Amino acid sequence: MPSVQLNHAQRELTVKIVYYGPGLSGKTTNLQMIHQRTQPEVRGRLLTVETHDDRTLFFDLLPVFFSTQNGFKVKVKLFTVPGQVIHNATRRIVLQGADAVAFIADSRRSASPENNNYWKNLLENMRENGLEATHVPVVIQYNKRDLPDTRTDAEIEETKKRGKEPVIGAIAIRGEGVLETLHAVLQSAYRSIDSRAHLAKNIGLTEKEFLTQVFANIDTKGTALEKDFPPKKAAEARP
Amino acid sequence: MSNPPAPARDSVLQRRLSLSDMLDVPAFAEVVKGFVELYRIGIKVFDDKGTKLADIKIGNGDFCGYVFSFPDGRSSCTGWVGRVKDGPIAPVHGARLPVLDDEPAPKGLVAAPCFTGLRYLILPIMWEGDTLGRIIFGPFLPDDMRGFPSSLTEISKNFDISKAQILVEKIRRAPESTVAKVMLHFAQLFDTLLSAGQKMFLTSQMHIEATLETNRDLEERNQRLEGMNTRLKELDRLKSAFLATVSHELRTPLTSIIGYSEMLAEGLAGPMNQEQVDYVRTIMEKGETLLKLISSILDISQIEAGKVRLSFEAYDVKDLLQSSASSVRPQAQKKGVDIEVKLPAHIERAVGDKERLRQVLVNLLANAVKFTPKGGKITASLSFSDKQPELKSAGYRIVIEDSGVGIPPDQFDKIFQSFYQVDSSSTREFGGAGLGLAIVKSFVEGHGGQVQVSSTVGQGSRFTIVLPQQPTGPVAHIAPPVQTPPEDRF
Repeated sequence: MPSVQLNHAQRELTVKIVYYGPGLSGKTTNLQMIHQRTQPEVRGRLLTVETHDDRTLFFDLLPVFFSTQNGFKVKVKLFTVPGQVIHNATRRIVLQGADAVAFIADSRRSASPENNNYWKNLLENMRENGLEATHVPVVIQYNKRDLPDTRTDAEIEETKKRGKEPVIGAIAIRGEGVLETLHAVLQSAYRSIDSRAHLAKNIGLTEKEFLTQVFANIDTKGTALEKDFPPKKAAEARP
Repeated sequence: MSNPPAPARDSVLQRRLSLSDMLDVPAFAEVVKGFVELYRIGIKVFDDKGTKLADIKIGNGDFCGYVFSFPDGRSSCTGWVGRVKDGPIAPVHGARLPVLDDEPAPKGLVAAPCFTGLRYLILPIMWEGDTLGRIIFGPFLPDDMRGFPSSLTEISKNFDISKAQILVEKIRRAPESTVAKVMLHFAQLFDTLLSAGQKMFLTSQMHIEATLETNRDLEERNQRLEGMNTRLKELDRLKSAFLATVSHELRTPLTSIIGYSEMLAEGLAGPMNQEQVDYVRTIMEKGETLLKLISSILDISQIEAGKVRLSFEAYDVKDLLQSSASSVRPQAQKKGVDIEVKLPAHIERAVGDKERLRQVLVNLLANAVKFTPKGGKITASLSFSDKQPELKSAGYRIVIEDSGVGIPPDQFDKIFQSFYQVDSSSTREFGGAGLGLAIVKSFVEGHGGQVQVSSTVGQGSRFTIVLPQQPTGPVAHIAPPVQTPPEDRF
């Protein structure tokens, strides 16, 4: 079971989200897009450690932070793992203590074997880390929907039926589906933590406030979240 | 079976980093020193625990020393330093918001006027929403300061204002807004240093952690493999011991069966009619076949137990090959297979275990007979060379070639394993236990020789053995194929 990083003495909650998936499926791209759309006041720098050919070496890290209305400090740390097969030890370390996982799959049919390998690798590493799939929710993103050989919507509907994980289509490079995935994974993380640490009762942080605090500072323009979390300027412009 | 995963050490990624994790403190002090010399304002940097990371003073030593020489000055000064270093970075307890005159300034900055009239600016070090420490600029002489405040002049009757005036002029005079602007630059520089430092720290730590994790993983696998290996070796040893016992136990009654059959067939127990004699001879023959099989099993179990010792003596290779061929000729004739032996005119004597080598040749020839159909041909040829390429020494080469069914190339290695059969199906055409070639290989290699095979399926096989004229190995001992590790000594 993941240990909830809830520090009452320092009035601080840390939520760890890990973007997992095969090499070149777009994990880093997801973080870059989130970074681009997030107000500098609530995020740190995007830390990336790459090899000379732009492959993630250890991890990427994007911290997002805010204070709740009750003055509780909340830090959301978004990590990616390196996708190359040889970096399994690193993947296992980065996965430690994750509160939720966004599994970035490549939607091309030819990528199915790789997706399956990494899915199994995720489950195995979760088990090795003592994380149970029932306690660490996973959200699946089907990325690269714009490429030829991509699965049809009907096929993606089919994969949805094979598990209980939310499935979201995306073209991360254009920012499509990125914030929707972030929303889904944060929501799952909140619910999972809340079921154990009773955030609403203990620190007065509701799911709504948690998500609003994050997305109020992210430019949701043109995404499915625009209605629920209107971009700041648009909100201010209202009478 | 597998142990539960070892509780992993908390990764550096789970930890909150401190300033000293992210900064190379001596190098940072150098940067601060350069900054101080350029702008002539002292800089102090503390982390959130109050640990000093840099403290470069400029200009204020004489003035502050003079103030400090008065007891009241000393206590006020100590109190004020404590306030600046540990007090809240907020406009409380004597601090206030800075006067910026529209100049750019970093966020969270406060001004702290000292009781001497000098001034400090304090900036919190913010990192990912946390306050990791503070930067203190000062003291500087505010350009709006006209004369010393009474909080300074009243520290002592003996306080010499004109002396203090001379000393204070060594401190840089500047507007608060200018110092705030300098501080903004410093804060930007500091932020860059921190992110570079954070990246370096995390990656070097991750490198170590990943290596340790890989190592742990490999060790775990090694342990599992070692356990499996030990188990297999033990099973193998048990198998050999079992075979040795069983074959020994089978052989004893079998020799009686053969012996008594022989006596019956020879009429020692009274005359028998021809049919009875034929039956008894069949019993004898089948008994002999069974005995050979049991002997092979005993041989292989002894080889595998490392119990076989070769006894070397001088022998005649030509004789050996000829007599071996003669012993399989009856079988060959019965089957309608021709055996030809090709010998060189003259050949020197060799040294080896004659009986084991006879077994080698008989096994190979008998195999050839077994797998060659009627009308086929077997050739056994012997040659000698002063330098056999495989051995790099003088030796013999015996090639036994048949026109039989042949062996698929992917089976070449396997046929030398004990109990291996190319065709192991229940409907196979050829009998045997699959031990002959394993014994051949062990005995030939025990002499320091080599055995090779080549074949074309459907056309025939060719087995070549190369033997040194004189075995060079230190002991005539056949090492078991599976080595048992030495026992624990302590």
